[in-house]
Amino acid sequence: MTADQIRAHIDPIRHEFAEPRSLVLPALKFAQTEKGHLTREDLEAVSAATGFSAAFVESVASFYDRLYLEPTGTRVVSVCVTLSCMLRGADEVWERLCDREGVSHHGGTTGDGRITIQEAQCLGYCDRAPCIQVDADETVGPMTPESAGQLVDDLRVAPAPDEFWR
Amino acid sequence: MPILNSVYRHREAGHVLTDVAAYREAGGFDALHTALGDMEPDDLLYVFHRSGLRGRGGAGFPMGRKASFLPKDAKLAKYVVCNADESEPGTFKDREIIQMNPFQLIEGIVLAGYAIGAERGYIYIRGEYEFQARILQAAIAAARDAGFLGTDIARSGFTFDITLYRGAGAYICGEETGLLESLEGKRGQPRLKPPFPAVAGLYSSPTLINNVETLSALPPIVTRGADWYAALGPEKSPGSKIFSVSGHVTRPGNYEIILGQTTLRELIFEHAGGVRDGRRVKAIWVGGSSVPVLGEQHLDTPLDYESLNAVGTFLGSGGCIVMDDSGCIVRSTLRLASFYKHESCGKCTPCREGTTWMERILQRIVDGEGRMEDLQLLESIFGRISGKVLCALAEGAVAPISSAIKLFREDFVAAIEQGGALRPEPMWPEAPAEAR
Ligand SMILES: Cc1cc2nc3c(=O)[nH]c(=O)nc-3n(C[C@H](O)[C@H](O)[C@H](O)COP(=O)(O)O)c2cc1C
Ligand code: SF4
Ligand code: FES
Repeated sequence: MTADQIRAHIDPIRHEFAEPRSLVLPALKFAQTEKGHLTREDLEAVSAATGFSAAFVESVASFYDRLYLEPTGTRVVSVCVTLSCMLRGADEVWERLCDREGVSHHGGTTGDGRITIQEAQCLGYCDRAPCIQVDADETVGPMTPESAGQLVDDLRVAPAPDEFWR
Repeated sequence: MPILNSVYRHREAGHVLTDVAAYREAGGFDALHTALGDMEPDDLLYVFHRSGLRGRGGAGFPMGRKASFLPKDAKLAKYVVCNADESEPGTFKDREIIQMNPFQLIEGIVLAGYAIGAERGYIYIRGEYEFQARILQAAIAAARDAGFLGTDIARSGFTFDITLYRGAGAYICGEETGLLESLEGKRGQPRLKPPFPAVAGLYSSPTLINNVETLSALPPIVTRGADWYAALGPEKSPGSKIFSVSGHVTRPGNYEIILGQTTLRELIFEHAGGVRDGRRVKAIWVGGSSVPVLGEQHLDTPLDYESLNAVGTFLGSGGCIVMDDSGCIVRSTLRLASFYKHESCGKCTPCREGTTWMERILQRIVDGEGRMEDLQLLESIFGRISGKVLCALAEGAVAPISSAIKLFREDFVAAIEQGGALRPEPMWPEAPAEAR
C-alpha cells in the first residue's frame, strides 16, 4: 500500500489523538487490508505516512498476533484452543482440520496457498465452544471436525474479500 | 425474556437496543439529561461513589473512588478509557453489552467524562472483535447525529466525543497500562506503577480506565439513584454482575445475578443448566482463568467479592469455566499454562521464563515424563514470580496452577506415577450448528 493511501485513511482521524504516534496501529491495520500481510514496502509506507521510523513501526507490528509480517493464505482460519473450547472438543477440531488440510499440528498454510490454519487464544465466544474465526469475521460455533472441514471447503470456493481485516 | 431489575436495559427490555430510538424508549439518555442538566460534576462523582459500584474488569476496585483520584485541575486534559479488550479466558459479557446495547455503554462513558472533566473518551476493543467494533462505530456515529456526543451535548454546553480504537491480538493489552501503551501506538507492554493512570495515564494525562460492564452500569445508577444500586446485594459488593458460564455445562451463556444472593451452585445448575446427567462438578475457575481454581466443595459459596475471597479465589471478570469429572485437571492446568506463556509480553524475566518453565514441566507430566520433584520445582517457580514483576499477568498465571496442585494434588501425583494424563473425551455440543 502507498503512503498516500495510508494518509487518506489516517488524516481524518488525526485530530482525535493528542500524539500522532497513536496513528501507527490504525495505519498498520489498514495497510494490512490490501494483501493480508505487511511487506517491507508497507512498513515503509506506514513510516512515511505517520512520521515514525520504519524500525519503530516494525517493532510495533511484530508485537501483535493479528499483524502478519509473512505471507499467509488467502484466508486465515483461527481455531480457539483455550480451556473452554478444549473442554468442548477444540483439540479434536484442530487436529482433524490440520490433518485434513495437510498441515502439521502446529498449523500452517495449505499447499494451494488458500488457507492458513492457526491456533487462537480465547476468542470471547466460549458460549459457542468449540469456535473458529475466519480472518476478523464474526466467530462461529459450536463446531465439529466435520463442520470445520466444511467451513474450509466453503472458503476455498468463495471469492477473496476486497479488504483483509484480520 | 425480559429480566426485572436488570442493570442492563437490553436485558430488562428483552430485546436488542441497537438504534437510538429503541434505546430512548427503554429510558436511555435520561441519565445524561439529568446529569448534564441538573448536576455538578462533583455531585455526579459522589453518586458513583455512593452506589458502591466496583470495577467489573477483574480487580474489583471501587469505581467512584478511582474516579475521585483524578486531579481536579481544570487546565489538565483528562481522558476516559473504556477497556473493551475482553480477552480473559471464559469471559464474553462485554461482547453481549456491545452487541445488544451499545448506547448504554456510550452513555456511561459520557457520564464518566462529565464527572471527571474530560472532553474525549476512547474505547479500546480487541482486534478479534471487529464485528462488535463495527456495531460500536455505527452507534457512536448515531449518538453523535442525535446530539448525545460532540459539541454542546443535549444543549448543556458540555463537549465530549468518543474514539474507537482497535487492538490487534494481544491479551496483555487488557492490562490497563499495556492498553495505554497500545493506544499510544506502541507495543502493548505494561508500565511500572506508580504513577497510576489516574495521575499519569494516556499521553501522561490523568485517565480513568474502566471496563465495559462497569461504565454501562452508570446510567441506571443515575436514573434510579445510588441508593437503589447500593441496596442490590451486600454492602461491600453491591449491584448485579454478569457471569459468563462455559465449559461442561448444558446451557453455556451470560447470566446476570444480584451479588451475594446467588450461590455458585445456583449459577451453574439453575442458570447454566448444570453438568450432564451422571456427572459431577470437578473444577471451577469462577472469575476467568487467572484465579485460584475451586472444587465441588465450594459450590455453596455465594457469588460476591468477599465470599469468594473467603474461599481463596476472586470474582475477577466473572468468566466462570466449569469442568466436570470427565475432565482432566492436569491437562486443563497445562492448557492455561500454555495460554500465559503465549501471552506473557516478555518484559520481565521472571514472567517470561517462569511461564515457559511452568508450561514445560506440566507438559512433561502430561506426557508421562514427569518426576515427583517436578511438583516442588513448580512450587519454587511460583515463589520466584510473585511480587517480582510489573503486572498482574504473572500472578494470574501462577494462581490457577498453584491452586490446582494444592486442591487436586492426587491427580498430579497419579499422572506422574502412572505415566501421564489420559486425554478425556470432550463434551460435544448436543446439536452442532451448521458450519455457517
Ligand atoms: C493481564 C491482564 C489482562 C486484563 N484484561 C482485561 C480486559 O480484557 N478487560 C478489562 O476490562 N480489564 C482487564 N484487566 C484489568 C485492567 O487492568 C483494569 O483493572 C480494568 O480495566 C479496570 O477497570 P474496572 O475497574 O472497571 O474493572 C486485565 C488485567 C490484567 C493484569
Ligand atoms: S508480568 Fe509478564 S506480562 Fe506483565 S509486564 Fe512483566 S513480562 Fe509482561
Ligand atoms: S475458550 Fe475458546 S472462545 Fe473462549
